Amino acid sequence: MTITQQLRPRSRPTTAARTRRDGLTLPVRIGLRLLVPVVILLVWWALSRSATSGYFVPSPLESLRAVGAMFLSSDPGRLFLGEATFTHFVPSVARALAGLGLAILVGVGVGVVLGVFPKMHALFQPLVHLGRSLPSPALLGVFFLLFGIGDSPKIFLIAFSVVWPILFNTIDGVMSVGEVRSQAAAVYRIPTRLVLTHIVLPGASPKIFAGIRTAMSMSLIIMIISELQKSDNGLGYLLVSTQRDFDYPGFFAVLIVLAVLGVVMNFIFLQIERRVLSWHRGVTAQND
Amino acid sequence: MTDTTTAPTTQTIPELQLDGVSKTYGTNLAVRSITADIPAHKISVMVGPSGCGKSTLLRIISGLDQPTDGSVSFEGKTVTGVPEGLAMVFQDYSRSLYPWMRVDKNVAFPLSKVPKAERERRVAEALEAVGLKDRTHLYPWQMSGGMQQRVAIARALASQPKLLVMDEPYASVDAQTRADLEDLLLRIQRELGITVLVVTHDIDESVYLADHIIVLSTPPSIVAETIDVDLPHPRDQVTTKADPRFVEIRGHVASLLRHKELQTGEDRP
Repeated sequence: MTITQQLRPRSRPTTAARTRRDGLTLPVRIGLRLLVPVVILLVWWALSRSATSGYFVPSPLESLRAVGAMFLSSDPGRLFLGEATFTHFVPSVARALAGLGLAILVGVGVGVVLGVFPKMHALFQPLVHLGRSLPSPALLGVFFLLFGIGDSPKIFLIAFSVVWPILFNTIDGVMSVGEVRSQAAAVYRIPTRLVLTHIVLPGASPKIFAGIRTAMSMSLIIMIISELQKSDNGLGYLLVSTQRDFDYPGFFAVLIVLAVLGVVMNFIFLQIERRVLSWHRGVTAQND
Repeated sequence: MTDTTTAPTTQTIPELQLDGVSKTYGTNLAVRSITADIPAHKISVMVGPSGCGKSTLLRIISGLDQPTDGSVSFEGKTVTGVPEGLAMVFQDYSRSLYPWMRVDKNVAFPLSKVPKAERERRVAEALEAVGLKDRTHLYPWQMSGGMQQRVAIARALASQPKLLVMDEPYASVDAQTRADLEDLLLRIQRELGITVLVVTHDIDESVYLADHIIVLSTPPSIVAETIDVDLPHPRDQVTTKADPRFVEIRGHVASLLRHKELQTGEDRP
C-alpha cells in the first residue's frame, strides 16, 4: 500500500517537459512555426507584384492598412474601433453567437432526451438523419420566407445548420455514461434532477464540447453565407460590396478579420474547455 | 441441501431473505431457485463459479432488477425497488466513482438530502474509517485502484447502511491491496456492526471474510450449501489462513464448487 500511496497528481506537463518530449529546442520550434506563415506572406506579396493578378491582389501591407482604416480608428470614445466594426463586424458576430447559443441549448437539451430514452431515439433518428443530411445553405430561401428579413432568418439558419454535431455528440455522450454509473446512482437513490446535472451532463461533456467546437467553426461559415443575400450589413455583405466596388484591399481586409475572428474564437473556446474538462484530461493522461 | 433453514445460525433474525428467487432471460434460466438467509450484523459471502448468476442475484437483491419467480425481503419487507438502508460497492471502481468530482464530493454526493453539517461530519468519518481523511481534495483518477475502492467503500459507509452489498469488490486490485482491503472490511464491520453481503469467486477470500458462506452451483444456479465459519476474530492474513480449520473449510468449499459443476452438468435438460 505504501508504494501505491506515493501518488503524484498528474499536472500539466511544463513547457520544458514539452520541449523535451518533441525533441526540439525553443528557437527551432518557433522558427518552424513561423516558416509557413512567412512563406504564405511571401507568395501573397509575389502575387500582388505580378502583372496579371496584381490588379486583384493587393499587397499584404496594403490589406493590413485597409483593416486599420475600416475596422480601427483613433477615437478613444469608440474604443479605437472603426466604422466597419460597428456596422458589420459586431452584427455578424452577434448573429453567429446567437445561432450557436440557440444550437447549444436545443442540441444539448434534445440530445439528453434522445440519449436517455432509447424509444425517443428510435422514433426521431430518421428525422435527425434527414436534418443532418440537408445542405443547410440550400434552405436559406426557405428561412427568409419563414422568418422575413432582418436578423432572425440568419440566426435560425445558423442554429439549424450547426445544431447537428452538437445533437449527435450529446446523444453519443449521454449513451456512453454507462450502466455502472447509472446503477450507482440508482442504488444511492440520487434524485433524477441531480443525476441529469451531476452525472449525465458531466459524463457527456467531453463529447458535447467536441460537438460545440465543430459547430463553432460551422457557425462562422453559415454566418457569411447567410449575409451574402438580402443583407445590408455584416461581414458577408461587406465581402460582396467590396468586390462589387472593386475595393480589393477592403475585400482582403475582411478576409483577414475573418481569419483573426476564427482563431480568437477557437482560442477562447479552448480556454473554457480546458477549465471545464480539466478532470477529463486527467483521466485520459492516466490511461495513456 | 438447498434447505437453509437448518443452518445453525439462530442468534439473530435474518436481515435479508431470498425465497426461491429465480431469474430467466428469455429462455435462458440464469438463476434456478435461490433460498438463503443473510443473518444480521455478520459478513455473509456468496461464492460461486464465474457466470453462476451472482451479479444477477445482486441486482435483484438491490432492487435494480425483478426476479422472475420468488421474492427477496429486507427487514421483513418485500423488495420492489432499491431498499432504504442498502449501499453497494461495485467491482469496477473506475466506473462507479465520478471522475469529475473530488473524493469528498464523490462520498458526499448521495447525501444531497442530508443537512450540510451532518453531511460533512459523515463524509469525514467515512473517509477516516477507510484511512483517506487527508486525500479528500484529490480526484479518483489521481489515486491507485485500491484507494479508489476505499473511496467507494467510504461512499457506501457515509450513507449509514444497514446492509452493505459488495459485488466482487476486490477483483480489480493487486494481491497486497486486496489483503489490506479485506482486513479493512473486517475491521469496519466489527466496529459498525453492519450486515455485509459480499459476492466473490475467490474461495480463500470467501472463507477469510465470512461468518457465513453461501456456496452457489453453476448456472442455472441453486444454493449448494451454506456453511457457518467459526474462525476466531480478529482474523489475520497469516495466522488465520494457516489455521487448520481455515484449510478444512476452504477445501470443503473448493470440493463443493468442483462437485457441483459436474453434477449440474449431468442435471441439465
